[in-house]
Amino acid sequence: MKIFNRKTWLATAVMVWLITSNATAQEYSDTIRDGKTYTNATMVGVGGANILDTYLSQEKYRGLSYEMVYHRTIDRADSRWSKQIIHSTALFITQNRANTGNEWELMYNYQHAWLYNWDFLDGRLNIKAGGAIDADGGYLQNDRNSNNPLSVKAHVSIMPKAIATYKFKCGSHPAAVRYEIGVPLVGTMFSLNYGQSYYELGKDDYDRNLVLTHFINAPSLKQMLTLDYTTKKTTLRIGYLGYIRQSDVNNIKCHNYNHSLVIGIVKRFNILKIRP
Amino acid sequence: MKKLSLLILSLATMLTFVGCVDVDEYDDSPKGNFEALWHIIDEHYCFLDYKADVYGLDWNEVYERYSKQMNSNMTESQEFEVLTKMLSELRDGHVNLYSSFDNGRYWSWFESYPANVSDTLLRKYLGTDYKITNGMKYRILNDNIGYIRYESFENDLGSGNLDNILAYLAPCNGLIIDIRGNGGGLLSSAEKFAARFINTQTMMGYIQHKTGKGHNDFSEMKEQKLKPSSGIRWQKSVAVLTNRKVFSAANEFVKYMKQTPNAMIIGDKTGGGAGMPYSSELPGGWSVRFSACPMYDKDKNITEFGIDPDYNVQLSDSDLQNGIDTIIEFAREKLKQ
Repeated sequence: MKIFNRKTWLATAVMVWLITSNATAQEYSDTIRDGKTYTNATMVGVGGANILDTYLSQEKYRGLSYEMVYHRTIDRADSRWSKQIIHSTALFITQNRANTGNEWELMYNYQHAWLYNWDFLDGRLNIKAGGAIDADGGYLQNDRNSNNPLSVKAHVSIMPKAIATYKFKCGSHPAAVRYEIGVPLVGTMFSLNYGQSYYELGKDDYDRNLVLTHFINAPSLKQMLTLDYTTKKTTLRIGYLGYIRQSDVNNIKCHNYNHSLVIGIVKRFNILKIRP
Repeated sequence: MKKLSLLILSLATMLTFVGCVDVDEYDDSPKGNFEALWHIIDEHYCFLDYKADVYGLDWNEVYERYSKQMNSNMTESQEFEVLTKMLSELRDGHVNLYSSFDNGRYWSWFESYPANVSDTLLRKYLGTDYKITNGMKYRILNDNIGYIRYESFENDLGSGNLDNILAYLAPCNGLIIDIRGNGGGLLSSAEKFAARFINTQTMMGYIQHKTGKGHNDFSEMKEQKLKPSSGIRWQKSVAVLTNRKVFSAANEFVKYMKQTPNAMIIGDKTGGGAGMPYSSELPGGWSVRFSACPMYDKDKNITEFGIDPDYNVQLSDSDLQNGIDTIIEFAREKLKQ
């Protein structure tokens, strides 16, 4: 009687090869690098704001702004394209010049950008440029008005964007100066018509409430200038954040000029996936 | 470096697109406040052309007449007085100037007419055992006529409140809704109440809004359609009692009730107020309210100066002395017919 026939020998050989080859892989590499470098910056800011919305008042309101900004930039080792995602929330508390009325605004901004990289000066200067989808949403409320108490804000636009980063040494510490700018080019925004009421809007009285925006009727700008300074294992960021949001649609003029001092922490890391 | 120059050039081009969206603020002075107020009305008030037709209002002539009265030596109270007087030229109860020491107003729309309502008489008719919910006082009168006294539309009317009131009054032969003195409030409350008196979707009138600064820059008229309530609906006769102080949302309620199948309007002409009011402000901080969205009846007539009743009945002095409310008694008789 034969204990091992030809087929059995073949099956055994395949199994031994599979087991040993797997063991070899585990032995030499149980982690996978996805080739991406993540740069996360979490910042808080405080600054000054100048708000105008002629649906609510002909007067400009001035006061303070409080921001929270989260940036994530993803650079790839195998590509010159980077991705950037921004979430930011801002609260504006403002008064009229006679201090008899208040307006406050709550805004959320989301930005998703695709950026191409160029390196200059032996890699010390990096420039990213590309496009982003930029979305703002929120509302501005006047605490004295009757049937025009608030102005709802919603704006989605395509935004050309550029970031320049210059790396240098400050003593023995790595540092970087960074400037980021975006200008909404074309998009669409919600706006009531000149004297339209929310009562009418609630009755489905649409009157050019979705408006095409471009850099002429909604010239806006978002920019940030920061200094990153690394000490031991922590990178601190301090700088200036400026939002200029403007629109002149449906005979309603709006602006929000916001200039803030921001401070935050930057973390740069890779993600390793470990095989089970 | 060529690429770098190109990028810097692109950046500079982006920045040139960012112009300013701004307005010029008037000075915080008597003259500045006057200019701001005159322009707010000129650009946003909705009845300038209508009032030019009805009584010859000329807003440019008003500017000439009142600008001469403004000077930098005026006291705050003199300035307030002149500005209030200028606003009174609009003859509009929805136009007010608010300061920390006074509310500028035009109240001739009811002050120049008989009140046609008496608290003493109302107390007599309501007694002390009436029911009250959400601002509505109601009871069944001794000839089995339901009576609702409703003095303001300020409260948001709940459908549960109306169901309870109408269920309680359901055995009555007719219903009186007494809104004399009701100065308005929420348009939505007027709609909810009127929706209890229709069985099909009904076209009540029109509304429009301004689309620009010109006196005649208006959107198209939009139909005001009212759907019947899904709650208890009144199917018998109803009398709505009015006087000159019925204004704004209450005036709209009368407009709606005129389109319902079983309603009659009894009393004096209403006070009007057919422009939905908006607010703005002056450089000195005073707040101003003005009519912004005009509303029309189903024949596209502006109801700014009031709505005529079906039966014009005045409270007589002799009835008043005898403790009889002429208007309520007239309504009771009509409801019995």
